[in-house]
Amino acid sequence: MIEQKIVEPEYLFFQADREEVFITGSEALKEAIKRANVDMAISYPITPQSESMHLVGDLYVEGYVREYFRGENEFAVMSAVAGASMGGVRVFTATGGPGTLRAFEIFPAWAGARVPVVCAFMTRGVNSPLSIQPDTIEMAFMLHTGIVMFHAETAQDLYDMLLKAFVIAEKPDVHIPVGVFADGFFVTHTREKVKIDPAEIKLPPYNPYSSPVPVMDMENVPVRHMRDPFVMKSNFISYAAHASWQQEILAAAERARKHIHKYLGGLVETENEEAEILIIASGTAVSQSREAIALACQEGLNAGLVKIKSIRPFPEEEIRKLTQKAKAVIVPEFNRVGWLCKEIKSVVEDNTKVVGGPRVFGGMTMPPHLILAEIRRCSQ
Amino acid sequence: MNKNLFKISPGFEDIMPAEYRELVHDGPYGKNLGVSDLGTFKELLEEHPLCAGCGLALSLRLILASLPNPEDTIIVGSTGCSSLAFPQVGVHNIHSLFGNQNAVASGLKRALKLRFPEKTKDVVAIAGDGATADIGLDMVMHSWFRRENIATIMLDNEAYANTGGQESGMSPQGTVLYMAPKGKKFPKISLPEIAREVGCAYVAVGSPAQPRPLEKMVRRTILVAREIGPTYLQVFCPCPTNYKFKPQETVAKIKQREKEGTFQTREYITLEAQKLLTKLEEGKK
Amino acid sequence: MNRKISIRMSGLGGQGVVTAAHILGVATTLEGLVSTVNPFFGAEKRLAPAESYVRISSSQIDERGEVLYPNIIMIFHPHVITLGKCYTMPFFDGLQPEGILIINSEQPLDLSKEDLTKLGQLNARLFYLPATQIATQVAETELSTNIAMLGGLVGVTRLVSVEAIRESLAERFGGRKFLASATTAALDDVLKSKFAQVTQLVDRNMEVVHKASEAVQEYFIKKKEAGSLCMLR
Repeated sequence: MIEQKIVEPEYLFFQADREEVFITGSEALKEAIKRANVDMAISYPITPQSESMHLVGDLYVEGYVREYFRGENEFAVMSAVAGASMGGVRVFTATGGPGTLRAFEIFPAWAGARVPVVCAFMTRGVNSPLSIQPDTIEMAFMLHTGIVMFHAETAQDLYDMLLKAFVIAEKPDVHIPVGVFADGFFVTHTREKVKIDPAEIKLPPYNPYSSPVPVMDMENVPVRHMRDPFVMKSNFISYAAHASWQQEILAAAERARKHIHKYLGGLVETENEEAEILIIASGTAVSQSREAIALACQEGLNAGLVKIKSIRPFPEEEIRKLTQKAKAVIVPEFNRVGWLCKEIKSVVEDNTKVVGGPRVFGGMTMPPHLILAEIRRCSQ
Repeated sequence: MNKNLFKISPGFEDIMPAEYRELVHDGPYGKNLGVSDLGTFKELLEEHPLCAGCGLALSLRLILASLPNPEDTIIVGSTGCSSLAFPQVGVHNIHSLFGNQNAVASGLKRALKLRFPEKTKDVVAIAGDGATADIGLDMVMHSWFRRENIATIMLDNEAYANTGGQESGMSPQGTVLYMAPKGKKFPKISLPEIAREVGCAYVAVGSPAQPRPLEKMVRRTILVAREIGPTYLQVFCPCPTNYKFKPQETVAKIKQREKEGTFQTREYITLEAQKLLTKLEEGKK
Repeated sequence: MNRKISIRMSGLGGQGVVTAAHILGVATTLEGLVSTVNPFFGAEKRLAPAESYVRISSSQIDERGEVLYPNIIMIFHPHVITLGKCYTMPFFDGLQPEGILIINSEQPLDLSKEDLTKLGQLNARLFYLPATQIATQVAETELSTNIAMLGGLVGVTRLVSVEAIRESLAERFGGRKFLASATTAALDDVLKSKFAQVTQLVDRNMEVVHKASEAVQEYFIKKKEAGSLCMLR
């Protein structure tokens, strides 16, 4: 293994001198994993994720990751990841689009088993006929799996969110999986400037005994759980056990909020949030919105921006407060179903002012002019 | 596992459950016990919620009593009748999802190798025929292709029993079960032969009708997996509930099938595994 | 530069549109400008349509994805136009007024009257460059076609300096391991094997850049009788 100095997460995130490099999102992921003290990574190819896990494979060769292999399909990979995590190591994987859905059964099981897995999701279309192009529709499916969800706008976000995801996922009061979502191609394959930490430092190792559930290593007491498992029972004790565990997983995500505030600076970021017209977006829809706002500004129109970084837990209070005075709320999205719009509508007091769109899907780039058109319309 | 880890702190003996006290004092950890010692120690599985006469429960009890290294064995189970018994088992065990036991075991074994390079940690996947030969077959076989150091044990009751008795790939041809209302159209999957072909170092078929040979097979399955590569043990454990025979006839059923020629105990051992086993088994004598 | 320049490069898989965009992007950042580069490929297949996009500005660039309204379009292969091997139809879709078109072809292509009329209305500037021919003659490999195209761009716009291109080339082929796609990585190794040393590779390619920057020729689109062209020099 390569020798790296272990530093406090706060030092790595906020204090270390960073170098600016011109790299793609996939390369930013590699740089993050290089400094994340990852024990094991398991891969499976799918466009547009594959490059990321190739690069993690390079880290294995270079001695930054201790164990690495290709599994047989995404469900198997995610299962192996669960096994590794239950065995007490820090483990990483990545997928996207159809891979996410192929593995889908595992995500609630990850959360229920409280494994602190970090997984990158490089989003893409899942429809038939086959598409490999960017689309965030898989996030709609992921909303209720119990995992924490961050949405990266840029390669810089991807780098920072991945490193912070390990720290947040492994907090004893959280200890549930964190998914870091990045829009396929728009982030993974776009080359831009990213500030990265020195390669000589890394996060502290995972301490498996900080887990709120026993590590499966026979180095702690092998309790017998119960004589009759709850699956056998249709009675109040069984209902209560399952219901309280579901609530506990939700509560773990709630407890992540304070850590998200500490490490990510909040669940949202705002610019000119006093404006009468607010654009609320996540992922690269934020980038397109920034461009649209600049164009609007040239026309003398005033629009503010709310970037949502954490989709789960969702910034309900933040959105409620921010939208109180707004005349219109525009929610541009890279998917057909408008899942973010639905989330926002569910918390805005007068949700008739929420504009569901513009939306593009099937892989196309969202022209900033479409958002501009909505700003113009709402300004009238 | 260090035995001190689960010792009861002085003064707390009386408030710990009797179950726990018994496991600490009379459990099998680190004692090198076997099937012939049954009745003299606290078993890893005693009370369970499975049906009367359940061949699977009997097999599981024998398998657990045969573990060469219970204090450092982690079992990965799967959904099915056996998953109802596992919460009662006194070694670490995982239930993840239906059919993914060998994938979970692959990640787990590699993780334990990283964390405990100097220690022996046996990872055993124990699941039913549906989980092993049907829904989880790709993951079972890929763990073999990858030469994972895990032992795979199938509890073959020839049906999906926990869901009410449906046909599985391991049901004999012609059997009428749910989802095969006109009788199963194709023969029992020959997984032991498949396992041999894809490179399992040790493959065996046994049953609880012969506890001592079964114990030997369990030990061989685990010891070869530890040292060489993937191994497979298929345990025939008929289901009185879904095959509709009397609970007390389970063992007789196995013997009857053996007589008919529709069940045969067998072992396939590679040269490398045979060498290892000869060394280990002679050393023991 | 105060405004943003958006470039669309259309070519066939294996021609190096992804690499050209990368080299250009790095070169512009070396000169202190802001740049983002992204490819847009379908399945990674040689000779299938391939596009990549470069945005260059003096200030922060937010917009991502496909360049919908390019200021410059670079066509790496005549088939992009003649066989429609292109994600964007017509090939100049979205071209901004006074936009620039650089096409790799030894002879002017037989563009339709309709296309020429539209290009004329846009006041577009049309350039032809025998990029593949120059690559084959100077670097002795077709794989340098993309570098020749960059040479053409330098000849037409002076967006970046020749020195920056050299530095970027050296970083791309001699420096740290970088990634565009698995297929591109494989082609890189092929290219490297064709030149004994990286410096030689860079020198040869710089020769390609110089030759191409001189060889690029502008064709004037006569507005009154759209459809006929005459060479400017």
